Amino acid sequence: MWLDEADGFAEIFKGYLPYYLLVALPIFIIMSPVNPVAASHEFSVYRMQHYDLHTVPHGCRSASFNLEGRSLTSWSTSRHCVVARVQDITIDQFMEIRSKAGALLLVLPKNDTVLTPEEKEHIQLLEMAMIQQEVNAPVYFARWTPDFEDILRDLQHSFITDDKSGTALEAMMNSVSSNGYQIVVSASTPQKLDSKPVTLHGKLVGRSGSAQTIVIAAHYDSSGVVPELSVGADSNASGAVAVLELARIFSRLYSLSVVRGAPSLLFVLTSLGHSLNYFSAKKWLEEQLDSADASLLQDVSFVMCIDSISSSREMTMHVSKPPKPGGAAHSIKSRLGVTITHKKINLADELLAWQHERFSIRRMTAFTLSSLQSHKDPSRSTVLDQPNEASVKNLADNIAVTARALASHIYNLTDELNEEDAALYNDALNVDEASIRRWYKYLSSQARAPQIITTTPPSAGVTGALERALSRYMEVTVSTHAVDKREPEYTLYGATRAALYVYSVKPAVFDLILTLAIVAYLSVVYFAIQLFPRFYEEYAKIVTGKAKVH
Amino acid sequence: MTLYHFGNCLALVYAPYHMAYKFSGISEYATFSKCVYAGGLYIFTQLCKMLLLATFFPDSDSSHITGEYNVFLEILKATVDFADLLGIYFALNSVPGKGHAKILTSAIGWASAEVVVTRSVLLWVGARGSEFDWRYVRSCAESNVALLHTAATAALVWLATRSDLPRRHAPAVLALLALAPYRGLLEDAVASVLALSAWALLALRALHATAVGLTALAMYAVLAQQIGI
Repeated sequence: MWLDEADGFAEIFKGYLPYYLLVALPIFIIMSPVNPVAASHEFSVYRMQHYDLHTVPHGCRSASFNLEGRSLTSWSTSRHCVVARVQDITIDQFMEIRSKAGALLLVLPKNDTVLTPEEKEHIQLLEMAMIQQEVNAPVYFARWTPDFEDILRDLQHSFITDDKSGTALEAMMNSVSSNGYQIVVSASTPQKLDSKPVTLHGKLVGRSGSAQTIVIAAHYDSSGVVPELSVGADSNASGAVAVLELARIFSRLYSLSVVRGAPSLLFVLTSLGHSLNYFSAKKWLEEQLDSADASLLQDVSFVMCIDSISSSREMTMHVSKPPKPGGAAHSIKSRLGVTITHKKINLADELLAWQHERFSIRRMTAFTLSSLQSHKDPSRSTVLDQPNEASVKNLADNIAVTARALASHIYNLTDELNEEDAALYNDALNVDEASIRRWYKYLSSQARAPQIITTTPPSAGVTGALERALSRYMEVTVSTHAVDKREPEYTLYGATRAALYVYSVKPAVFDLILTLAIVAYLSVVYFAIQLFPRFYEEYAKIVTGKAKVH
Repeated sequence: MTLYHFGNCLALVYAPYHMAYKFSGISEYATFSKCVYAGGLYIFTQLCKMLLLATFFPDSDSSHITGEYNVFLEILKATVDFADLLGIYFALNSVPGKGHAKILTSAIGWASAEVVVTRSVLLWVGARGSEFDWRYVRSCAESNVALLHTAATAALVWLATRSDLPRRHAPAVLALLALAPYRGLLEDAVASVLALSAWALLALRALHATAVGLTALAMYAVLAQQIGI
């Protein structure tokens, strides 16, 4: 047998194996998968906003990368993926990363409570800066996990870089002790999403003979830098909840012919808000006004838009034209006791400031009620816009105040005369705080970015839930709008989420050092085997010598 | 990591076996085929053990899911490893020659087969992946310890089969042989009690194997002097 003839493996290697190996090894290498092991870390990550508005690109344009992870301070080339906490990165650093780095991975804070107000403001400003322009590198956001904390710490404290350590020995030691990370996201190139924005509206018909209509409108989407994570509790879950609650209150009043008010009430929920220039409202207005049967918006008394009313109890009325004394808007203003902020519509701006401007453009008296002082407030589009308990209270209060002002305008009451009247009022206009809380919690638990709510069918998801809620009080019409094919007003891109794999790797020099260590170990083994006969002699002498003593 | 890293690991596994074969003097007996035979016996023994385990023991995967660690079951499973001793006995019988040649040939054949069967696939898929883990280097070093351990066990089996074994050694040999199947279990138990790290566990294994090996060597030396090899 050939095995007997061969003097061990060496002979076989010399005699037989090389020919087989020439064939076998390449086959083995081809057959074995490229990345056979599962990565030690796998995370869900969420891609940054990616959309075109009037063909102007915004947000992150690419999706996949396979790069070495580095911290904010140690990255240098486009072969690095910068990994950082959102609160640590400055706007200048972001601008540099935007132009030079290969990818950016930002870890969101653990929760709101760990952030100082300055940090929150900083993150909001950073988000605004990020969304202003397009970013060619992939940008991903991840929720905080303990694993990420470890990776961040490793990246910050290890310098695999060759030039930063003092001596060669130090560099070597670093390379052995430190962990490198290879960060991989495999995703297809971003695809255009088929976006179908909708508008829900329902009407409570007033006493016959009066054609005046009051429109109460809010948008219910959210806008943050990360579509999957922007829940938009204040902007604008609060507005949508307010519309629902007002619809509930007034549907009760309007259900009895005795207490039915004169003007009709039209409740409108639009699916696209300020981030996409109130596109739904625009399309809906076009459809309603330019169709042959324009009865719905024939004689509009005023349009009240509700936007972000949960951040404080103070509300501001934003108008594009100061209300005339004696007009309906002025009446509401004085009944609400709010201050007025006047801002003219600037059509040259990329975005309209408030939703009421869409109505004002169509020559309706319109205003927006908001707790925010300015439309430029960064808290309108941030992922930090999370629900909290204080907001529910503010929201309920603001809804109660609005309902009361609206009712006293509708029934043209000047003052509550006595306690009996006040009790009647309270009874009729009581807000249901439990229902407000439920809807606020529900809406602010859902990611409501345009990418998500306009791509799900209208009967499902948030849109479906709102439609079902509103149809308990009145007949609801759902109008679906289409984006112009040739000159799209906006284009949304997916995918919004991906799986991120983190492989821990060692630098190439580490393998060299490992080889040296293995060679050293093997030479120790070699000498041990060489010295074994002599050791055995000595050992046997000791053992048998002792044995003889017994 | 890379093919280079795989090469590193392979060198760490293969070189000690090669050196043990080459420099211990057994290669002069031209017993390479006997090594292969011992390896074949190892594989056969494992198949028999698997058959036993599959027939008489409950599904171990389900206990992994529930996360319970059944000590009694583990001890019973380790008891099946007595079949290894039987396998080594047959391997020793099949090798002609003096005692140390018998022991080393069957130990090297046995341990090599073990490495090929249990570690080569893990190394091939693991060490070549882009993920670096010390686990693979550690597993390679562990295979060296396994060689030492198999040699010690083979020596003990050889000693136990000798009728001219000094009477006062017999209890020690039998006790060590009886403990041999449970060594992995014992080492793990010590490691979990002392909360040792993976590297410390490796050191513990090495220490254990060395101690058993030296004991067996001492008894071998006494016997060898007695019968004059």
